[in-house]
Amino acid sequence: MELRYFIIRRILLLIPTLIGLTLLTFILVRALPTSLLLSQYVNPHSTLPRSVQIAHAKALLGLNYPVPVQYFFYLSALFHGEWGFMVSNFYTGPVLTGIEEFFPNTLQLTIFAVILSIIISIPLGTYIGSRPNSVADHAGRIFSLAVYAMPAFVLALVLQIVLGRGAITGNPLGVFPISGTFNYALVPFPVPSWLTSPNTSALVSHPTHLIIFDALIHHNYAIAYSGLLHIVLPVITLTLGILAGIVRFLRAGMMDNMRQEYVKTARAKGVPENVIIKRHIRKNALIPTVTVLGLLFASLLGGVVLIEDVFDYPGMGLLGINAITSYSIYGVMGVTLVFGLVLVFANLIVDVVYAFLDPRIRY
Amino acid sequence: MITEEQTKKEEIQPVVKVSNLVTQFFTYKGIVKALDGVSFEIRPGEILGLVGESGCGKSVTATSIMDLIPDPPGRIISGEIYIDGFNTLADLNRQAKIIIKSETNVKVKRNKRYIKRHNFIMSHIRGNKISMIFQEPSLSMNPVMRIGDQIMEAILLHSKIEIADSIIRRETMTDEDIRKFYEDAVKTKTHLDLRGFVHKWSQDYGVAEAEDGIIEIIERNDQNAIQELKNIVAEQKTNIKLKYIQLEREYERYNNLLFDLNLQLMEAESKNDSLKINELREQIKRTQAYIRSKFSGYRLIKRFIGKRIEEPFRREARRRALELLKLVNIAGPDRVINSYPHELSGGMLQRSMIAMALSSNPKILIADEPTTALDVTTQAQILDIMKDLNRVTKTSILFITHDLAVIAEMCHRVAVMYAGNIVEEAPVKEIFKNPKHPYTVGLLKAIPRPDVKVNKFEKLESIKGSVPNLINPPSGCRFNPRCPFKMDICEREKPKLVDIGGGHKVACFLFENADGSRKEVE
Repeated sequence: MELRYFIIRRILLLIPTLIGLTLLTFILVRALPTSLLLSQYVNPHSTLPRSVQIAHAKALLGLNYPVPVQYFFYLSALFHGEWGFMVSNFYTGPVLTGIEEFFPNTLQLTIFAVILSIIISIPLGTYIGSRPNSVADHAGRIFSLAVYAMPAFVLALVLQIVLGRGAITGNPLGVFPISGTFNYALVPFPVPSWLTSPNTSALVSHPTHLIIFDALIHHNYAIAYSGLLHIVLPVITLTLGILAGIVRFLRAGMMDNMRQEYVKTARAKGVPENVIIKRHIRKNALIPTVTVLGLLFASLLGGVVLIEDVFDYPGMGLLGINAITSYSIYGVMGVTLVFGLVLVFANLIVDVVYAFLDPRIRY
Repeated sequence: MITEEQTKKEEIQPVVKVSNLVTQFFTYKGIVKALDGVSFEIRPGEILGLVGESGCGKSVTATSIMDLIPDPPGRIISGEIYIDGFNTLADLNRQAKIIIKSETNVKVKRNKRYIKRHNFIMSHIRGNKISMIFQEPSLSMNPVMRIGDQIMEAILLHSKIEIADSIIRRETMTDEDIRKFYEDAVKTKTHLDLRGFVHKWSQDYGVAEAEDGIIEIIERNDQNAIQELKNIVAEQKTNIKLKYIQLEREYERYNNLLFDLNLQLMEAESKNDSLKINELREQIKRTQAYIRSKFSGYRLIKRFIGKRIEEPFRREARRRALELLKLVNIAGPDRVINSYPHELSGGMLQRSMIAMALSSNPKILIADEPTTALDVTTQAQILDIMKDLNRVTKTSILFITHDLAVIAEMCHRVAVMYAGNIVEEAPVKEIFKNPKHPYTVGLLKAIPRPDVKVNKFEKLESIKGSVPNLINPPSGCRFNPRCPFKMDICEREKPKLVDIGGGHKVACFLFENADGSRKEVE
C-alpha cells in the first residue's frame, strides 16, 4: 500500500482515539467524589440551607442528568473553550488561557530534548552497535546504563550542582542558571507590554509565550540570550533521560540485524562494510528503535513535570502540580487532556515514521 | 589479436581453483575442523555439483571462496583460492597470526592494515567476478528495500563505467545521426507527426529545450538546416549533466586502478619481490594522492547534490535491472521491480536473487542449495533458468545441494564431500554408474528408486553410524568408523585423491592411480 493512504487512514483513526481520550478524562472527573466538587459551591455564611445550596449547585453543574448526557455536556463545553477556572498561587484564571500561556514552554523543552537526543543517539548507537564488545561499546553501555538507571530529578540536581551558576560558591563550571526562564534583572522599567500577563505571578511574554522567540522579535537580545542559557540544563536532563534508551535499543537492533541473512547477501554483492552498516543494517535496526521512541516520549512527558518543578520552569508540569495542590479539578482535567493530546499526536508521528521505514507495516 | 594458443590456454585455466583449503572455527567447545584440505577446480562454462550430508562442509567451502566466513569465530587457516587466475588468499598469513594454546584457548592476532586491504580487494571481486545465491530467498533479501533498489545497488557497484559509457554514447550524436534524423523528419507528412517525432527524439537525447527551434528549422526545409540543427544539438549537449557523468566515470576508473595495483602488490608480496613491492607501493601512494587532489572538490559537491548526479546512473541501472528480470523469466518485471520482498513468492525472490547475482556478468555463480526452500514445481523452474543461463552466458556454476536427483539433472561434474574432505570427484554419469568410494556407494543406495523393487517391509539401505563430530574427527580417513571396507591403514593415514582414469578421482586406499601409483593428483 502507498504510504500516503496509510497516513490518511491513520489520521482518520485519530477520531475514535480522541473520543476515547475525552471519555477517559470525563470518567476521571466523574470518579471523584462529587462532594469535593460541590464544596466549592457551598457558602457557609449564606442564609440558604446547605441542602438547598447543594441542590442548586447540582442543577447548575448538570449532575442531575444521566451520565451519558453529562458526557455530551462536557464535550460541548470542551468545544466551546469552556475548560473551567482555576485558583492557585502559581496561576489564577481560565484554565484554557493558562494552558495557552504555559504549554509553549513545555513544548519547547520536549522538542529540543527529542531533537537533541535523536541527533546524538543515532550516530552513537550505529557506531557502538557496529563494533560489539569494543572499548567504545563497553564505555557507551556503561554510560547509558548509568544515565538510564538514574531518576530524572536526581540527574537534574547533579547537573545543577556541577554545571549550575552559583550552586556552589566558586564552581568553575557554573555557567548555566538553575531556575526560571530568564534573568528578571534584565527586564527594563517600565515593564514592556509584551512581558506582562494579568493572571500569573510569572512573567509571560507575548505573542508566542516563548521567551527566546518573543525577545528576538522585540529586539531584546540580552533577554533572548539569557532565555537560551536557562533552557540548557532542563533540556540536557530530559535528553539524557531518553538518550540512553534509544542508544541501547539501536545497539541491540544493529547487533541483531548484523547476523541476518540479507547482510550476507549484501556482502556477497560486494557492498563495502560502511555502506552495509548505514544502508542495510541501520535502516532495519531503526524500526524497533522508533517504536521505543514513541514509548520514551510518554516517559519524557512524565519527566517534564518533575524537571519543570526542579528548575522552576513555568510550563504545563508546574501548572499541573499547582492545580493538584490547590484542589483545582478543572486545572487537573485540562492538563491531563492536553498531555493526552500531545501523546496521541506524537504517536501518530511515530507510526508514520515507522511505516516509512518498514514497508511491511503498510497493510 | 587473440592467437589460437591463447584461447586454448584460457580454456584450460579454471575460473575457480581451490587447493588444500583448511577452514576452522574456534568455539568454546573446541576447534571445529570444518574443512580439512579441500581441493577442486571449476572450468569455464562448467556446472560442478558439490554434494554431501548436512554439516559436511559444503556451505563452508562456498563461504570460504566468497570470504564470507564469520570472523570470529571462523577463519581460513591455509590454502589457496584462485578466482579467475588470482590467488585471493595470497596474504593470508599477514592478515592474522593464530596462536593455539589449547583446543579451547585460541588467540587470533589481526593485522588491521592487511585485513582492510583484503576487504577492499574482496569487495571488488565479490558480486563482480564471483556471485552467490542462498538457500532462503525470503531471508536473503533486505526486507526494507525494494527489489529494484537491491538489484540496482549491485549494478551500480560494479558496472558504473559501462553505464557511464552507454549514457554518454546515447547522449552524444554523431553528424551521421543528425543527417539521418533530419531526413526522417522531412519525410514525415503532417505537422502533427513531425511534432511527435521531434518531441520523442529531443526527450531521448536530453535537448527538450530546443524542441521548437528544431521544428522551425525542419519546416523551413533549406540547405543550411542540417548545419543549424547540429549547432543547436551541440549547444544543448555541453550540459552540466554529462560533465558529472564523465567525472564519475573517471573517479570509478581510478578506483579500479587502485584495486588492480593492490592486487599486484599482494601478488608481489607473496613472491617476496621487494623491488616490485616498493615500486607498487609508490604507485599506490601516487594514485591515492592524485585521487585526493583531483576529486576532493567533486566528492564535496557529490555530498550535497549526490542524488542528482546519481540520477542518470540510476535510470540506466533500472533499465538494466528490468532486462535482468526479463532474463530470469519473471512475469511482470515492471511490477516486481517496485515490490518489497514480502510481497513476492519464494520462487520470484529466488529469480530476483539470480538476476542480482548476474548483474555484472560474473565468471562464476555459487548456488548454495538454491532450491531447498522452494516447492517442487518452482524448483524445476529455477533449475531450468540456471541451466539456460549456463548454456547461454557460459557462466560456470558451483551447485551445492544434498539432493542427488538435482545433481543428476544439472551438473557436468560432481564432487562428493564427507566431513570436510572431498572423497570422490567425477563426471556426473560416471558417479551414478560407477561410484567408487564406499561413502558414495552408500549415498547412492540410500536414494529411493521406483525402478528397483524393494520389499515393502524392507527398509531403505542407509549408511551405518552418523556424521562425526568435527571437534574430534576420526584420525586418518574421516569415514573409517562407518566404512564397511575398513583396513588398518585407514586409521593411520589420510587417503589422497587419486585419478583412476577418465577424470574420476577417489580418496580411498582401495584405489590407486591409473598408472598404479598412489601419488596425489592435482
